[in-house]
Amino acid sequence: MAKPSMKKGDILVVCILVPMCLYVFYESTTWPIPALLGNPLLIPRGVATCLLVAAGMLLYRALSGRALPLPKRLEGADLRRVSGAAVLTFGYVLVVERVGFIATTCVFLLLFGLVVGERRWVRLVLFAIAVPVAIYMIFDTTLNVPLPRGWLR
Amino acid sequence: MVSLDLLLRGFATVLTGYNAVALVLGSFFGIIIGAIPGLTATMGIALLVPFTFGMNPITGIVMLLGIYTGAIYGGGIASILIKTPGTPAAAATVFDGYPMAQKGMAGKAIGMATIASGIGGTFTAICLTFFAPILARFALRFSAPEYFALAVFGLSVTVTLCGKSPLKGFISGAIGLLIAMVGLDPMGGFPRFTLGLAELTGGFTFVPMLIGLFALSEGFRQVEMLLTAPKMTAIIKDVLPKLRELRECAVTFVRACIIGLIVGITPAIGAETSCFVSYAEAKRTSKHPEKFGTGILEGVAAPQCAENASTGGDLLPMLTLGLPGDAATAVLMGALTIHNLQPGPLLFRDHLELVHQIFAGMITANLIFVILGLTFTRFFAQVINIDRRYLIPLIFICCMVGSYAINNVLYDLATCVVFGFIGYLMMRYEYPVSPMVLAQILGAMMESNFRRSLAMSRGDPLILVTRPIALVILILAAITTVTAIRRQRRILLEQAAMEAAGG
Repeated sequence: MAKPSMKKGDILVVCILVPMCLYVFYESTTWPIPALLGNPLLIPRGVATCLLVAAGMLLYRALSGRALPLPKRLEGADLRRVSGAAVLTFGYVLVVERVGFIATTCVFLLLFGLVVGERRWVRLVLFAIAVPVAIYMIFDTTLNVPLPRGWLR
Repeated sequence: MVSLDLLLRGFATVLTGYNAVALVLGSFFGIIIGAIPGLTATMGIALLVPFTFGMNPITGIVMLLGIYTGAIYGGGIASILIKTPGTPAAAATVFDGYPMAQKGMAGKAIGMATIASGIGGTFTAICLTFFAPILARFALRFSAPEYFALAVFGLSVTVTLCGKSPLKGFISGAIGLLIAMVGLDPMGGFPRFTLGLAELTGGFTFVPMLIGLFALSEGFRQVEMLLTAPKMTAIIKDVLPKLRELRECAVTFVRACIIGLIVGITPAIGAETSCFVSYAEAKRTSKHPEKFGTGILEGVAAPQCAENASTGGDLLPMLTLGLPGDAATAVLMGALTIHNLQPGPLLFRDHLELVHQIFAGMITANLIFVILGLTFTRFFAQVINIDRRYLIPLIFICCMVGSYAINNVLYDLATCVVFGFIGYLMMRYEYPVSPMVLAQILGAMMESNFRRSLAMSRGDPLILVTRPIALVILILAAITTVTAIRRQRRILLEQAAMEAAGG
């Protein structure tokens, strides 16, 4: 049986890189070229060209079966857990300023604990309450770095 | 030259009040971070940078130096006790450290690792103290073409030496270069690649991006590997090695110090490489090479001493030229800029007293982790068993709070989270993250100095190769790149031959 490789991942990277490079060329056409300050197009376009060549090589390697093998650690990796963590993290960014640091962090830690498999409720709840309060005290009171107050404002 | 008077005053400042507390706390947390497998020195610095925002610059800097040196040393504890390096820099310590632990000599192995790391770290910190002012003085002669050449040299080494695949290292570096171009044009002042967003006019905020790429990404990876963390069960006793044992390792210490320093100064490679080079060299020159790998003190002393000896070497180009030696020093550089300090030769001209305080802090940090390491050995060993289900959410929160706290804007937090996820995907698919970050720093330096050079010469590109220092650096960059590519091709051919032979 063929070893699992990064072929699909590499092709996906090529699909991201090519439009990115084309955008560099497109946007650089709109830039002014100031006299005697060096051509601003040179380096961005040079880098984009190199990146296009690299993307071509990556694609060639992927299609000719020379993509790197998939690392062993990825076999059996729990992507559901990672997705859960990612959703919680992006959700945290969306609500933290409106709801406030302490409340949002409490809920985040509680849910995160569940995502990573913790089921000892008392310990988890204590952790979810103690950590935000402690961090808030350290930053807001001791280090004078304000954190979002949200509803507490 | 280094001023002994300023250095002594630096020691007095570092060892007084809050600075001393910050240094001890930094070392303490650094060792803890290093001892936990998966958490690196780079991540430790990125994670704890936000705690230094409200501090005086020198208090914050010595705390970060404590974290840096402590974490590099702490990696060896996990290598010895559970056969899993706490940090990549401690990978070679596994070879003899773990067999020693299996023989019931875990305490002695940790004691030797501590003292070896202390010797290496202190040696390199002293070298940094004496060489940095000389290099900075020399660098004051540099102009735009020389800085352009330096950036090209740094980029060529960074991209060709990182990761398993040079192609992926190159792609990572090139993306870093493009990211560095987001924001206002360095000479013309017009916006580039901002997608019409006002927040991107100043480019991506550097520190939240670093926290995302080095700390949050590791958090995501830890979520993925949650169930694979091994447990520490070794009994630790007789930590202090005997004087006779230290004397037997004296030559190993000297060799490892020199290897560590040289590897550290070389851009893009640091403690991760020096430990292997030092171990291999100790084995090659030993009278009893067959004993290596069976659990001998020399096999622990060589990598541990070299990995900490590379720290000063890594800091040298960063402090004097603004050229970070590796990912950890790139993060340290970001932290310095937060405290309004721009690494480079001008730092030595404008903040000489602070520079000497940094030297004093670096020397002291290496002594502090030795004291802490020998005193709290059992505690640091127990840290390995920390419950990941609580540690990981804590990492996430520290990253996000830290990013937000820089400017108190949500944009920074979003930057951290987005780059954290990108960093995780990069690590997952073997795209090294370090070239991307180093390329951002070096790319900005390269572009602005390239344009300045052309402005100086009224558009004549020959200025880049007609100045002797710039030319020498560019030739070095070309030689390094060609050598690295050849080496990589040889390795690939050897691998292909081995696979063919295997069937």
